[in-house]
Amino acid sequence: MEIKRMASSSSSGLTFKLHPLVIVNISDHYTRVKSQLNPPPLTSTSATVNGVENQQQAPRVYGCVIGVQRGRTVEIFNSFELLYDPSTHSLDRPFLKKKQELYKKVFPHFYILGWYSTGSDAQESDMHIHRALMDINESPLYVLLNPAINPTQKDLPVTIYESELHVIDGIPQLIFVRSSYTIETVEAERISVDHVAHLKPSDGGSAATQLAAHLTGIHSAIKMLNSRIRVLHHYLVGMQKGDIPCENSLLRQVSSLLRRLPAIESEKFQDDFLMEYNDTLLITYLAMFTNCSSTMNELVDKFNTAYDRHSRRGGRTAFI
Amino acid sequence: MEIEEKQAEVIDHFVKQVSAQKGSALGSVFVEATSHPSLFAFSEILAVPTVAELEGTDNSVHLEMLRLFAHGTWSDYKRNSGKFPQLVPDQVLKLKQLTVLTLAETKKVLSYDQLMRELDVTNVRELEDFLINDCMYAGLVRGKLDQLQRYFEVQFAAGRDLRPGQLGSMIQTLSNWLATSDNLLVTIQDKIKWADTMSELDKKHRKELEDRVMEVKKAVSVKEGWSCEREFFNSSKNA
Repeated sequence: MEIKRMASSSSSGLTFKLHPLVIVNISDHYTRVKSQLNPPPLTSTSATVNGVENQQQAPRVYGCVIGVQRGRTVEIFNSFELLYDPSTHSLDRPFLKKKQELYKKVFPHFYILGWYSTGSDAQESDMHIHRALMDINESPLYVLLNPAINPTQKDLPVTIYESELHVIDGIPQLIFVRSSYTIETVEAERISVDHVAHLKPSDGGSAATQLAAHLTGIHSAIKMLNSRIRVLHHYLVGMQKGDIPCENSLLRQVSSLLRRLPAIESEKFQDDFLMEYNDTLLITYLAMFTNCSSTMNELVDKFNTAYDRHSRRGGRTAFI
Repeated sequence: MEIEEKQAEVIDHFVKQVSAQKGSALGSVFVEATSHPSLFAFSEILAVPTVAELEGTDNSVHLEMLRLFAHGTWSDYKRNSGKFPQLVPDQVLKLKQLTVLTLAETKKVLSYDQLMRELDVTNVRELEDFLINDCMYAGLVRGKLDQLQRYFEVQFAAGRDLRPGQLGSMIQTLSNWLATSDNLLVTIQDKIKWADTMSELDKKHRKELEDRVMEVKKAVSVKEGWSCEREFFNSSKNA
């Protein structure tokens, strides 16, 4: 498939802010469509047979992105899905209009800023859709999500393209140019993204891996603190030796900081801390006890069931 | 560190004034500086060469006073009030504020009795007013007042000017802090390794158990007709 020629960076000077809700919406849409198209295999063997066929059917999903444009800043807040008509290579217009009206009632400030799709790169056919949307918004955005999971990639697989009129080979053509964007979060979005991010380690399973993940988090936080203290230490030593001129204001701030150490040493803290520590240990112990005694109980029941049949003579009593 | 930002301009202003003048005129500049409501840092002014020249001359009382404000407390003033010129009420207030800062240096929990002694205040109401209005609202200290137990718990106190020996002790504290956090990092890494090893062991144990059960099941299924034993082995797998 021929890929439209693209410039590497946009020159329109607009700054884009993308909310995580949009990314989650697009990925959710894609996942739903994909799993409805290819139901998960029942056994592991059938997966390998179907695996080759499945890969060719990566579906493309389409939808609209809405948000606010204030001056030179474009902020994309939300998105919704659209139907794509493969025969006419265009999006379903009446549906789009209806959805637009509905969203306008709830969010009167949001405008349609552009559209989204999934895939690894922008394509020729996308330009048709882009042009079609140009009557709603004179310069629509194209948000592209790459659904291929690449574990080595550090950035989000989301790119925002704008359209620009460039003169190529003497013919003015509309081409896609990539633009940079930043992620902007509202407090509610930050909490849910944080929550989802913490869920990831538990797909490995046991509590030990969760503990390890938690400890690793603490470790990296303390490492950062450590490096900063080291910088301060180095600076003060330098000042003492006379390499650096004394700056009193900084010294005052450092002294006020150091005065806060030791940060937690009061007796009340020790009491509370030890109490909570003992409580946790006690509860763990109790839980282990309960577990052991229930296992024991089960074992005894099974033992009785297994060996009871032989002692029909009545003389012997059951084990417990 | 908003206090530092607020002070920076005032400090510059006074440093310029001090370097522009000499001798006895400096005395009045000092009085102005020490009465200024937002100025708590005097070491920059002390560092100006014209100030150092005052040492040993007739005007050395002013220098002593400035030094008192930089490093001393209200009790120092009371003990040697002969050495220092008379203080105006603004200066008295400032000296008391600086005294609170010095007290907060050594202990985090200051008892009301000690504060009342150091600040020459007779009743608790006055002490609390002073602490709230003049220290906390000025941004010098942040903390909690516990009236029942008569304590003032300091969470944050602005820094005073450094005495010459203090730099060494600050470096010492910092190196201790560094050492503690290094140890903590090593301990955490050990714990992480321990957690991983334990989960590995646990998985291995489970797997071994499953394998043994499978073996026994296979061995038993060959022997038909021993229904009770099969049932026993099947149920023991779950135990």
